[in-house]
Amino acid sequence: MSDTANLRIQRFNPEVDRRPHLETYRVPLTPDTTILDGLHAVKAEQDGSLTFRRSCRHAICGSCAMNVDGHNVLVCKTRLADKVAGGKTVTIRPLPYLPIIKDLVVDRTAFWDQYLRVKPWLIPPDDVPEKEFRVTPEEVAALQNAETCIMCGACYSACQVVAMGKRYIGPHALLKAFLRVLDPRDAAVEDRLREVGGDDGVYRCHTIFNCIDACPKGLNPTQAIETLRGLAAKRKALEAARRTRQAAWSGARAP
Amino acid sequence: MESDVIQHDILVVGAGLAGTWGALAAAQRGVKDIGVLSKIHPLRSHSGAAQGGIAAALGNVRPAPGSGGDGPLEAAPEDGEPADSLELHLFDTIKGSDWLGDQDSMEILVREAPDIVYAYEHMGCVFSRLPDGRIAQRRFGGHSAPRANYAADWTGHVLLHTIHEQALRYGVRFYSEWVLLDLVLQDGVCRGLIALDLASGGLHLMRARTVLLGTGGYGRAYKITSNAHANTGDGVAIAYRAGVPLMDMEFVQFHPTGLYKHGILMSEACRGEGGYLVNRDGERFMSRYAASKMELAPRDLVSRSEQVEINEGRGVGPDGKGIHLDLRHLGRQKIMERLPQVRDLAMDFVGADPIDDLVPIQPTAHYSMGGIPTDNDGRVLADGRQAPVVGLYAAGECACVSVHGANRLGTNSLLDASLFGRRAGTAMAEEILGGREVAPVAGNPLGDTQARLRARFEAPGTESVAALADALKTTMTEDCGVFRDGAGLERARQAAAEIRRRFRLAKVRDQSRVFNTDLLDALETDHLLDFTEVIVAGALARTESRGAHYRTDFPKRDDESWLKHTLAFRQGDEAPPRLEHRPVRIDWERYPPQERKY
Repeated sequence: MSDTANLRIQRFNPEVDRRPHLETYRVPLTPDTTILDGLHAVKAEQDGSLTFRRSCRHAICGSCAMNVDGHNVLVCKTRLADKVAGGKTVTIRPLPYLPIIKDLVVDRTAFWDQYLRVKPWLIPPDDVPEKEFRVTPEEVAALQNAETCIMCGACYSACQVVAMGKRYIGPHALLKAFLRVLDPRDAAVEDRLREVGGDDGVYRCHTIFNCIDACPKGLNPTQAIETLRGLAAKRKALEAARRTRQAAWSGARAP
Repeated sequence: MESDVIQHDILVVGAGLAGTWGALAAAQRGVKDIGVLSKIHPLRSHSGAAQGGIAAALGNVRPAPGSGGDGPLEAAPEDGEPADSLELHLFDTIKGSDWLGDQDSMEILVREAPDIVYAYEHMGCVFSRLPDGRIAQRRFGGHSAPRANYAADWTGHVLLHTIHEQALRYGVRFYSEWVLLDLVLQDGVCRGLIALDLASGGLHLMRARTVLLGTGGYGRAYKITSNAHANTGDGVAIAYRAGVPLMDMEFVQFHPTGLYKHGILMSEACRGEGGYLVNRDGERFMSRYAASKMELAPRDLVSRSEQVEINEGRGVGPDGKGIHLDLRHLGRQKIMERLPQVRDLAMDFVGADPIDDLVPIQPTAHYSMGGIPTDNDGRVLADGRQAPVVGLYAAGECACVSVHGANRLGTNSLLDASLFGRRAGTAMAEEILGGREVAPVAGNPLGDTQARLRARFEAPGTESVAALADALKTTMTEDCGVFRDGAGLERARQAAAEIRRRFRLAKVRDQSRVFNTDLLDALETDHLLDFTEVIVAGALARTESRGAHYRTDFPKRDDESWLKHTLAFRQGDEAPPRLEHRPVRIDWERYPPQERKY
């Protein structure tokens, strides 16, 4: 292994450039160097105008999703050595299918608009218990596929349905809808299932599985979408069952 | 740089737990027009990186009877003896603080803790559960009962997403990737702020009836840190520049388990669930430092113990500067269920799977006990004692109430940020519904900020901001870290002053308007320089050892001289800060200072 690696980075300064172009930089390489470290090395020592988002640098904040050699990844947890084996050059581009603001920074407006569209917040029942709602460990385990989503956008910008048009709610927002629908504390199941079962929702998914492939947290949006499809067909029954469950909670309130 | 004036009833800076709670609490009390600025998208805030839990004495869990307190945990019977108490949580927090916390504030912290945890639960936070459906709890360092309420090891993440979602539900407006540049503070009244919209490069005067700072901590002053790149103490530095004193800045917490060389957090939950710390010889060395609490002693004590092992040649790793975290005996199932994120981090960053391997770790700069002095409702104190800056609030890690004193206990920070953020929001709502108006702005503060930025763009030097920031962080780590002494601190003081001189000439290389992160790096480095000077000055002056501040040349706690808070007032660019002190609020009947042993 050599002690340097080549980063080929897509550059675009909207104040100067008409279209993006690639530039190559040589950076130091150790076994631990991440692609984010490489970007920092370029910015600190070669070109201070290189622009990218990052914050936590350990895969929990969701800032640094980018496209590396054709795959959407978090650059903070992607080791450079794994990508440049055999003297290859690694190519870093912004997330695809989203407008570019500058260099590797994209405009995620469409992504956040869909997040807002599914009303990502819990809508609790009118009566809440004095202490916690009782939720079983099994019910919590079923939510894990969605609760750990960091909203990085890797799945959204890998989705071929999104690529064809921004009306589709998208894997990230459907995963959030899944979290709320399956949460026994939520009191708006029927409305949620009507929305995700509509024209822009779960039936648009072509089950190409790009979202699963892209997710840096190992989540499975496709499975969540499949589950929502099954539930959408019986949303009234689910709503009724939910109301019964929630009534029992408020009835069980401590005296 | 064009500008236009934006106005809200409340402006919040920072969208982590403290800031967002402030916004939500005010919205829930009827304030309609609330704006929240965040220099990164709100869901990227560093509150989301917290792992192990949020403290509250719910009493859901207890050690098995007859196991002597540190045995296996079980669900506590609902109608039995209470398994935990507010008094115990309070005493643990006071002892953890090495008696430097203000006890009336700490009492609020523990008393309102159960309510805030239930509030999160009612808003949809996905906590881990006991078989009967109650919230699960685990042990944490310095707490004498299992009271860390958790969601696996991504507790901060679920709290942050939950609170952000609810703020959206209540119509709070978020300004994502807007950067605070200056507070407009005239004649003791906060009139608003100046902000940069990163995407457009536009500067804005933003006016408000009240402003809340929830800008987080400043771990990025250190080379090895668990903190995000964003944690550069912006609000702390900007308030200090505007004339507000800073309190107890010398108390910086080093977390005992940052990943070796990276500093990335390996949750204290690793030890809460039963993990060991071992040295090069495979010895559980904590038996020599804290025979009773062992690995679950408070963080200041554990980090110091690790550093002694390292300094005396019993460290691990190529340079001997690491320690091993051993989770192997916990077994695959427990690790997968309770510590899944931590396992991924160890595998991704140091190539060790905790199920089979020892994980190399080291102390890492983690939490800022000091900050902007506030009262119990988040009002910023102009004199650090009782006179509020009208219209200015602060909460969370950027603030110093003080509930953590000289050393914070794990899981008390999510609690502090949430609860004092909520109290600040409630107080702001009262003030606004009581008729507080937007105060007029005199002069041209926007012009002053523009001039400052222009000077930065036109600076004549060629030195890189990144290299200067790196030099400062190295100095702080070497000379103002886990162990300190007078000579090292004096060295740090001089080095920081020299770096500041060179930084004045350093130029922003990216001369464009749109999304200028090179400018942002320079502004952040300026902030680091502002407040590190206060950390060093406080540490030099405090000739004792207390909590996280340990002077090898003054190794004993000295209550006679130093049972008091440090207040630092800025004296301009050239002069060191002026230090004053104020007494700690102590209930001398119930919780007088004692020797602190674990």
